[in-house]
Amino acid sequence: MSKRVWTIAFVLVLALLPALGIGVAGAAPLGQEETYTVQKDDSLWNVAEKYLGNGAAYPAVVGATNKKAVEDETFPYITDPALIQPGWKLAIPSEATAAEFIDTYILGKDLPTEITLVDTNSGANFQTYWQETVIPQIEADLGIKVNYLVGSESEQLERMKAWEAGQGDVHLLFVKPETVPNALEQEIGLETLYPDKLDIIPNLGKCPRNYLLEVLGESIDGKGALYWRSQYALIYNSEYITDPPTSWKEFYDRREEWKGHIGIVRPDAKSGSSYRIPYSFLNAFVAMSDAEDKAIPLEELQQTQEWQDAWAKLQDFYAYAKLPLPAEPPNMFEDFNAGDTWISFYAMDYALWSRSQGTMPPTIKSSFLAEGMAAGSDGYLIVPTDIPDEYKAVAYRLINYLLSDQQQVQLITTMWQYTGTDIWDKIPDEVWATIPAWEDMEPARLRILNSDVKNLIKEQGPDLLVPQ
Amino acid sequence: MADFLRRQRQSVLTLLMLSPGFAGFLGLFFYPMLVTLVRSLRPEGQDVGWTLTHYIEFLGKPGTRQVIVLTFVLAISSTLLSMVLSVPLTLVLREKLWGHRFFRLTILIPITVPGLVGALGLLVFYGSRGWINLFITQILHLSKLNINYTIPGLILFYLWHYFPYTALTTLATLEGLDRSIEEAASVAGANGWQVLRHIVLPLIAPGILAGSVLTFMAAFGSFSIPLVTGGNYRPLSVAIYTQIASFTPARWSMGSAMSVVMAILQVTFLSIYMRVLRRPIA
Repeated sequence: MSKRVWTIAFVLVLALLPALGIGVAGAAPLGQEETYTVQKDDSLWNVAEKYLGNGAAYPAVVGATNKKAVEDETFPYITDPALIQPGWKLAIPSEATAAEFIDTYILGKDLPTEITLVDTNSGANFQTYWQETVIPQIEADLGIKVNYLVGSESEQLERMKAWEAGQGDVHLLFVKPETVPNALEQEIGLETLYPDKLDIIPNLGKCPRNYLLEVLGESIDGKGALYWRSQYALIYNSEYITDPPTSWKEFYDRREEWKGHIGIVRPDAKSGSSYRIPYSFLNAFVAMSDAEDKAIPLEELQQTQEWQDAWAKLQDFYAYAKLPLPAEPPNMFEDFNAGDTWISFYAMDYALWSRSQGTMPPTIKSSFLAEGMAAGSDGYLIVPTDIPDEYKAVAYRLINYLLSDQQQVQLITTMWQYTGTDIWDKIPDEVWATIPAWEDMEPARLRILNSDVKNLIKEQGPDLLVPQ
Repeated sequence: MADFLRRQRQSVLTLLMLSPGFAGFLGLFFYPMLVTLVRSLRPEGQDVGWTLTHYIEFLGKPGTRQVIVLTFVLAISSTLLSMVLSVPLTLVLREKLWGHRFFRLTILIPITVPGLVGALGLLVFYGSRGWINLFITQILHLSKLNINYTIPGLILFYLWHYFPYTALTTLATLEGLDRSIEEAASVAGANGWQVLRHIVLPLIAPGILAGSVLTFMAAFGSFSIPLVTGGNYRPLSVAIYTQIASFTPARWSMGSAMSVVMAILQVTFLSIYMRVLRRPIA
């Protein structure tokens, strides 16, 4: 008897909950969600027009479907809204949800119009790009004024640790990949974007999912959106070199040809190339992490003949560099300009951008080294948990904008940076005449997994590697 | 008694009036110095505990002596050269020849141009395809001169950047000099060199030396010039920067210990130098 009473009471409470408005988290559908099976000659625009009365609401369909697809395999995961297949099952949000999506995330109704973005990733080239290109575009297209600030990771994380819930004043951060696990490790709350926010950031569906779940071998649980992928590559001056090496081994074997003209940044320099060059070089001769991406302990490595040979080759390689080794990027660029340096391994985007700025010779080209080239700092957009809710909505709106095809294509065509979204077929062919295709580049991307080796280079490099 | 009280009140008032300045001194100068000192005595990355390991490690490293010697060599040699350069330069400027105003202004360029920009400009100017080397190779048909990233080159760049401090104080002292003294010496039969050696130089020496202190201090702590134009030569300031900039997490304690050592060296050297200065110059 009493059991039944309790059951009835429980069911009643459950039934009443939505009516009372308790437990209905903001994103829950306001009405009934439907499914629709794609017919021949359908487009997402038509589907949205038919069901939601507004073709422009199609991103709501993409977002809702993708969010479903993460849990339910019968739904497709849409990475390109222009390509839908007959037979696909789409989730159609209720009209009310779609209307709310359009009001809030497309039109930005009743949201703050000013937001603070802190950038701890961009180099000089991209700081200029943000300030002169992206920020004005955001203001023109979305009506949001962005206070763009350049910061350092460690300082920013310290500030965020001191925030009170709901009081944070940096609403969106653009960071290096390692910052995401660093922040999580220091118990700084970040919003889970994938898959939770797929329905309100539809363009997030275009980002490769493995990049959203994991960085540098560490899990990030979808707490960042991928804005760009940065890559180091062989950079050479075609005025002096017409047949660049295609592998590190070939580079090493032909070192005599370019003696005194190889650009290597000092191992203790601030620039990321300081350790990426020697790390990529060593990687061509010795495995520094095992099959499961676990770093092999340094003492163990140093015992092996392979390591000792590789290290000896590396020391030898430095003796063929342009001396003294440049300490800062402008030094190396000047060496290129002066005709002293002919070939180097450097951030591809920065080198090619500098070419267009006149700070590198116009004859600079980029190419590919087979055994692996260190990845640069991929760019992640993160939203802190401890900021006011209305600012979170603005941050999501901004992320969706930054991941839009227009913004992403601009990234690769004007800055030579690989896009964060997989939209390779939307990129003009001219781009691939200048930089390697992503499908060739991605398998060669090398991640710095052995931090002991990186530290060895930084600490002892000046004594062991720098020729005096 | 009343007199004593009044004096007492006056000194309290003085103290009160001084307190903002005193607080400013404490807050802006003493406190940051103290933070650096405390940081240098903490274990790396921790806010508790005391240790001398950073000092021991830094002072015990084989390269440290070299770095300190390099820092002194660069600072002292550029200071000496700045004195040698300033005297003839200001003697000419004093004559107010045609265009002297322009040259007075150009003396200021090295200190008004940001160090980094100046350093890069010098690198380009003296580089393989810079004007100096183009002149040497294309017009004189001699072989290329290596100036960038060498010790003489570095001293030249230091000199360019820091000589205005010496030159400006020398110029000011020289222009304050009463010309009639020199005339009197000439009338008494001294030739030009003797006037310079026995009259002008001793009189402007305090100005030269005061300016040279400024040049030395700036050169000793110089950062942007050696960072960009130093090549393999990395004085203390750059070595400290490396601890902070190139390691993650940054080595604040190590960097602080090195800063404290640098400050002690600089203060010691300066106090000796100032003591020498106070002696009258024969």
